[in-house]
Amino acid sequence: MHPSDDLVHVDAVTRKFPLDHSAVTALDHTSLRVAAGEFLAIAGPSGSGKSTLLNLIGCIDKPTSGRIFIDGVDTSQLSPARTTALRRERIGFVFQTFNLIPVFTAAENVEFPLLIQGVNASDRRTRVTEALESVGLAGRAHHRPDLLSGGERQRVAVARAIVGRPALVLADEPTANLDTRNATQLIELMRDLNCRLGLTFIFSTHDQRLLEHTPRIVRLTDGQVESDSHSQGESHGQVLAACVS
Amino acid sequence: MGKFLLLAFRNVFRNRRRTVMTLMMVGGGVAGLLLVGGFFAFMFRGLRESTIRNGLGHIQIFTAEHFQRDEVHVLDTGISDWRHVAASVRSGDHVRGVAPRIDFYGMLSNGVKSSVFMGSAVEPDSERAMGFSPRIASGRDLGSNSNGEVEALIGTGVAKSMSVKVGDGLTILAVTADGALNGIDVQIVGIVNTGFKDLDDRYLRITLPSAQRLLQTDRVTNLVVGLDDTENTDSVAAILIPELRGQSQPMVIRKWIDLAAYYQQVRTLFSGIFLFLGIIVFFMVLMASVNTLLMAMFERTREIGTMLAMGTPRMWIVALFMVEATLTGLFGAAVGVLGGNLLGVALNISGLHLPPPPGSDVPMAFKVLHVPGLMIGASLLVVISLALASILPAIRASRLQIAEALAHV
Ligand SMILES: Nc1ncnc2c1ncn2[C@@H]1O[C@H](COP(=O)(O)OP(=O)(O)OP(=O)(O)O)[C@@H](O)[C@H]1O
Ligand SMILES: [Mg+2]
Repeated sequence: MHPSDDLVHVDAVTRKFPLDHSAVTALDHTSLRVAAGEFLAIAGPSGSGKSTLLNLIGCIDKPTSGRIFIDGVDTSQLSPARTTALRRERIGFVFQTFNLIPVFTAAENVEFPLLIQGVNASDRRTRVTEALESVGLAGRAHHRPDLLSGGERQRVAVARAIVGRPALVLADEPTANLDTRNATQLIELMRDLNCRLGLTFIFSTHDQRLLEHTPRIVRLTDGQVESDSHSQGESHGQVLAACVS
Repeated sequence: MGKFLLLAFRNVFRNRRRTVMTLMMVGGGVAGLLLVGGFFAFMFRGLRESTIRNGLGHIQIFTAEHFQRDEVHVLDTGISDWRHVAASVRSGDHVRGVAPRIDFYGMLSNGVKSSVFMGSAVEPDSERAMGFSPRIASGRDLGSNSNGEVEALIGTGVAKSMSVKVGDGLTILAVTADGALNGIDVQIVGIVNTGFKDLDDRYLRITLPSAQRLLQTDRVTNLVVGLDDTENTDSVAAILIPELRGQSQPMVIRKWIDLAAYYQQVRTLFSGIFLFLGIIVFFMVLMASVNTLLMAMFERTREIGTMLAMGTPRMWIVALFMVEATLTGLFGAAVGVLGGNLLGVALNISGLHLPPPPGSDVPMAFKVLHVPGLMIGASLLVVISLALASILPAIRASRLQIAEALAHV
């Protein structure tokens, strides 16, 4: 039913939000499989269910019906503590509004996931430096977020999302608060990290221009998958090959 | 752990304006408690010292019998070997002096009017050696050697009711130790205002030899011990108790605090008032802080959502908020202790006076003592208050629905 090479398996998931006497169906029997190492965009108009789907995959929301497997584990069966641990160990988040801790410097923000993972101080230092270097912000390590530009803040957020060595990075509209140049650079950065580190990225956007170099695009409409396109008919293996070239 | 405390610390100073307001409120509460408590402590000390100097002394020595039975005749339960006892007590450390006293009662008459009295007989020199002197309204204190006329001090109330003044003569009538009636003629040398009307209406003081002649006895009622410093009362008492065991009559001692009923009443009353103030400050800080902390939590909803999404254990969020509030309490307490002490110093320098308290005509100095116990107590009070205030916001923060918190604007 769910082959072990699927990192994420969304199995006939419905999410309804109760609203007074009726209910809004944000996702309607949606299914999706994502393999490890994929770089996947979820596109669709406003209200199509992109955020809802990402929240469910990120285990910060629960489906009304259907199941979600991460690494073959049925997340609906996990206790709250295990769910928290799963997010802490396996999932990195990038948010539309950056959501950096304002009283922490860039380096301290990146350090936070390691802190809650219980990584020791010297390992934390090297890994924070590595992560900041990989997003090209080593020179900004000791700046507070309010001294950074929007593009820089989001790159710090990406460093924070990858520093804990997650299996999966989820980014809900990571470019919505960036100008076109910064938005393009951010997607390129994520794609680069995807290729170099083999990290799986799932991000959502409604900006068509950002999808040009995205190998797989899932389009949602009214909470249902409208299309799931691998660009130029590439298979997953070909996508990985494209990275190397 | 260190980073976590750093995060809490920085969060405390995140919203400057609000932090300043909170610190001022908490610090104001602490400073207020220190000023009021410091003034009460000053008042207690003044009352304590004046009670002791008005004649109570630091320690009084009685025969054990004195408290065990009523006297059939005057001085039945008095100390007979008092010179010996006094000499041995006088040689101890911290002892400034030992004064024998006789309490007696009887009638006063000047041939026209008469009045009852509660008398005391003293050795004026021994009293003065300890710095105990009656508050003379007119005339002078008793002289040291009473050859010739027998000198007497009477209270203002006695003088008024008997229409006598300094220089007039009086006859004292009392029952002797054998049960016979005896009388002596005395001359009024001074009129005393104790500050307590009930006392002034009955007050009579003569010298010890005169009283012993009147009462036909060589006993005394008790010995009053004066020390160099009130703080030494307990340590001297602890030494005296075994020392007095060797005497021919079994002896007991009473410390000033056991005998100062008025002091204790005043202290109980004002301690009650202070406790009430403390409770008010506690709840004021609690209520104001719950509100402020809830506001802070609300503003940080998205940030908390982010931390939870990243897999921060919910207990960490609870701890973070509680540590932040506790730190705020500590800073507020520091501000309050600093401010309260500075204000106290300023007040003490200013030489402010309050109108005379009831029963007195001297304006009372308004001074505050710097009491370390009070500083610790007031600080603990606000720190605990803030820690308690943070529980509700902390738990609310930790229970946020992550997806909703992240969508919070
Ligand atoms: N907490 C909620 N309560 C009620 N309705 C909700 C809630 N969250 C989402 N919805 C509804 O579910 C539907 C899908 O919302 P969702 O946020 O997933 O869309 P989206 O594709 O992310 O849109 P956008 O591009 O505007 O971010 C919408 O109709 C929305 O109104
Ligand atoms: Mg959305």
